[in-house]
Amino acid sequence: MAKGIWVYVEQRDGKVKKVTYELLSAGRKAADSLGEELCAVLPGKGVAGIAPGLGEYGADKVYVLESDALEQYTTDGYANAVAALAKEKEPSAILMGCTVTGRDLAAQVAQKLGTGLLTDCTDMALENGQLVFTRPIYAGKAFVKAACPEARPVMATIRPNVLAVEGTQAGRTAEVVNVTPNAGDIRQIIKDTVLQVSTRPELTEADIIVSGGRGMKGPENFKILEDLADVLGAAVGASRAAVDAGWKPHSFQVGQTGKTVSPVVYIACGISGAIQHLAGMSSSKCIVAVNKDPEANIFKVADYGIVGDLFEIVPLLTEEFKKIMAS
Amino acid sequence: MSEPLMLFDEVRDAIVASGGEEIQMCMQCGLCTGSCPWGRMEEKAEFNVRAMFHMGRLGYDGYESDDFLFACTTCNQCGVKCPRGIKIPNVVRSMRSVICETGGIPKNLKAVLGSINSQGNPWSQEKDDRTAWTAGHDVPEFTPDKEYLLYVCCTSAYDGRSQKVARSIVDLLKAAGVSFGIIGNEEKCCGESVRKIGAEEEFGNLARHNIDLFNKKGVKKIITTSPHCLYTFKNEYPEFGAEFEVVHYSELLHNLVSGGKLKFSKPVAKKVIYHEPCYLGRHSRIFDAPRELLGAVPDLEMAEFKGNRDFSMCCSGGGARIWMETKAGQRFSDVKVKEASESGSQVIATACPYCIVMLEDSLKNQNKDEEMSVKDISEILKESL
Amino acid sequence: MNIVVCMKQTFDTEAKIALDANGKINKQGVSLIMNPYCEFAVEEALRIKEKHGGEVTVVSVGGPEAQDALRQALAMGADKAVLVDPGMEEVDEFATATILAKAISGMQYDIILGGFRAIDDGSAQVAGRVAEILGLPVVNVVVKLDIEGGKAVATKEIEGGSQVLEVSLPAVFTAQKGLNEPRYPSMKGIMQAKKKPMDKKTLADLGLDAAQVAPKVKVLSYFLPSARAAGKIIPGEPADAARDLVKALREEAKVI
Ligand SMILES: Cc1cc2nc3c(=O)[nH]c(=O)nc-3n(C[C@H](O)[C@H](O)[C@H](O)COP(=O)(O)OP(=O)(O)OC[C@H]3O[C@@H](n4cnc5c(N)ncnc54)[C@H](O)[C@@H]3O)c2cc1C
Repeated sequence: MAKGIWVYVEQRDGKVKKVTYELLSAGRKAADSLGEELCAVLPGKGVAGIAPGLGEYGADKVYVLESDALEQYTTDGYANAVAALAKEKEPSAILMGCTVTGRDLAAQVAQKLGTGLLTDCTDMALENGQLVFTRPIYAGKAFVKAACPEARPVMATIRPNVLAVEGTQAGRTAEVVNVTPNAGDIRQIIKDTVLQVSTRPELTEADIIVSGGRGMKGPENFKILEDLADVLGAAVGASRAAVDAGWKPHSFQVGQTGKTVSPVVYIACGISGAIQHLAGMSSSKCIVAVNKDPEANIFKVADYGIVGDLFEIVPLLTEEFKKIMAS
Repeated sequence: MSEPLMLFDEVRDAIVASGGEEIQMCMQCGLCTGSCPWGRMEEKAEFNVRAMFHMGRLGYDGYESDDFLFACTTCNQCGVKCPRGIKIPNVVRSMRSVICETGGIPKNLKAVLGSINSQGNPWSQEKDDRTAWTAGHDVPEFTPDKEYLLYVCCTSAYDGRSQKVARSIVDLLKAAGVSFGIIGNEEKCCGESVRKIGAEEEFGNLARHNIDLFNKKGVKKIITTSPHCLYTFKNEYPEFGAEFEVVHYSELLHNLVSGGKLKFSKPVAKKVIYHEPCYLGRHSRIFDAPRELLGAVPDLEMAEFKGNRDFSMCCSGGGARIWMETKAGQRFSDVKVKEASESGSQVIATACPYCIVMLEDSLKNQNKDEEMSVKDISEILKESL
Repeated sequence: MNIVVCMKQTFDTEAKIALDANGKINKQGVSLIMNPYCEFAVEEALRIKEKHGGEVTVVSVGGPEAQDALRQALAMGADKAVLVDPGMEEVDEFATATILAKAISGMQYDIILGGFRAIDDGSAQVAGRVAEILGLPVVNVVVKLDIEGGKAVATKEIEGGSQVLEVSLPAVFTAQKGLNEPRYPSMKGIMQAKKKPMDKKTLADLGLDAAQVAPKVKVLSYFLPSARAAGKIIPGEPADAARDLVKALREEAKVI
């Protein structure tokens, strides 16, 4: 009988990704309701030190898969190790963060285990003793609720920041189980890894976009938007007027003849809201406009607006966001 | 060594089969290319009508791109010159339709067709918001006892700037006591530019939908706000069985003024230069009505572009170019704005929503939007009521 | 170099999503296009073929309408198309991958390409599963691909940067935006495409039975996001307005 909810611990250089804690919190609740244990699965090298602390976030048990072969993430190495352990222990569910790595790993593990996988989920709930996942489809224009009724384990990748980290218990420790992992034949040979410091997300992939228009008055003023973007982990965009003026390259342009974006939050600063601009961003989930002209068309599509001078408002917003992001 | 060029007759056959038989009449004289506005831009453009005809006829590769086959604005400046009388925009349309059937059209245009299919307008706006422009404005609904249906172009229905034009036209029609009304949310795009993309199937769907709707509502006569709607309703909808009488609002207002039903009294003391919309002028032969309307406004000083009437330069917004990017240095509207500014005009007047979009954009990019403005003639006329 | 591309036809990006009377996604009146990520994959396949020779076969699982997208790939320059119509109401990624892998297993291949995700369900797992079934290595979210002497060097996106990986062929790669700029089909290509083989198959033709492709995932329901509320202008002095806006975004809209 399949038992145990597993959470894959995503870490880099010994630093655990926050989404892991989110999954542990949610997994804890599910495990309690189902009367199962919550296990963290921690592959890597030199990561054992992380293990006991995962108890604070709800893990009952941590499988530590230490190996030289797992020092760096590779698709084969990690998928082999996690799948082999899952075959042996037969958990009922495996949860991973929907990150580049989580997505990569989950598909391979799911197929090795011959099971179903729900990716990119924004919610997880227990309904009639079954884990049910909600995921956006058609770029968020619809949602689907789905489950994996028979095959086990049910697998899912869940987006970062959609589940809360709650119910942590300081000092609670998890049982650490060391497993000798079977990383198998690793066919992806890493030749080079290039990390850029603080890169902003790609415009079309970003959850938050801060965009500037002709109201920015000049290229140097985009600095205040970049400061805001960095606080929010957002991408920076521009209207065509700002691009045509040479303040930003065409790759920043949002709109009919630029990029079509549908982020969770779109913050338009000094953009009038011409129809070509709207065509590229009106499907954003939440639109915020800062414009000094109360009649500006952008306010017609905005969920929230401030009528005022962006040079005054934007830095204030940056400060306010800083405060709440810290809390 | 270069590869030998192989002729591929089937391409020509396909163009002919999609209605471009006139491609075979071309004698490659090049007058088309010589008159094409693309050739008159500051920055050299790849586009060349004559070469495109040549390549299409022989089945060569290499002209099926944003900057070539899809560069043509269908302004018909070339058609005026063609000694063989070829309807060049129609051949362009048929060439595009061969491409479009296979889904290989420019990326921006795919989004336009997607929006047409699911929202009935090209601007990716909600179909249920089609009448948003009427908010706070008393606009009569069309009922069978009304003489005219006022069909508002998608651009004027959705674009904040252009909505003002729709409202001005309504005010003028009301002032002249015209019996009219709008249908609104059930309407779909007229499809003129959709057909120019080459999307025959989508165009047919739009035409059939609108014709059915208009017939069901008891429409006999239609006023259009845009010359593009005028063109397709008049010249293309009859292929689908439409029998409506169609006028552009400028023609109707002109008649009303001539008949003494509409008078302009308030002076508008400005120098106004008239930009000829291609689909009103060259394509529909309506040259005088808009000029005479402006002439009826007290104190208004009229100016003309050097190239006007049959030789007027396009704004670059026709032929679906309004949804595509044109490099700075190649935008026809930039040239027009420059000339308008040099003429000392304060207002560029026109009578087409696409022209307004293009010209206003150029005005902003040249930072001339403080000293000059772009207006639809209806806006000037309304000011003068 | 024989290249197989797994391709999906999807709703276009502008599609208005609505539910039909049965609560399912309404497919009426929606334009269908080749999934843009698959378009990158097709383009990459053509470039590899142009450089190294070989043949490009495009495979899709879908209904008869998917032929349009396959024909686009043929017009772009692919040599053959295979369409497997599963004739089932619901297929999940497990089912799709099983069918694709079975169809591909009968072909010659050195490289298998696919889009890294489809813009409709965005599940980003089919190509990886195909690799697993066929016992091949996979490299996902590839932005650069070089083929040299039985090996591939692929640059993939990772969090906060990129990674260069080497794999031996045959292998599976999934295309990310940035890999290339897909070409338009030429008029000539379109004409030639009409004569290229389009192989239509059923599950039985592949020797698969319903049980082998029974979906693992079950859809319980579809729903649409709640309608937009009317916009709010936040009043007050700049400092107050900024504070209230940030508060509203966090507490009311719950988006930050
Ligand atoms: C073929 C074509 C394609 C196009 N494609 C696109 C496209 O893809 N994307 C796009 O964006 N546009 C596109 N456009 C251009 C579009 O029509 C508009 O011209 C453009 O979007 C305007 O940009 P803007 O809003 O930045 O400038 P403006 O319209 O000039 O607006 C500037 C705004 O800034 C406000 N402002 C000024 N100073 C301040 C201040 N200190 N504080 C607060 N607010 C201030 C003003 O009130 C005004 O509303 C296209 C146009 C054409 C013709």
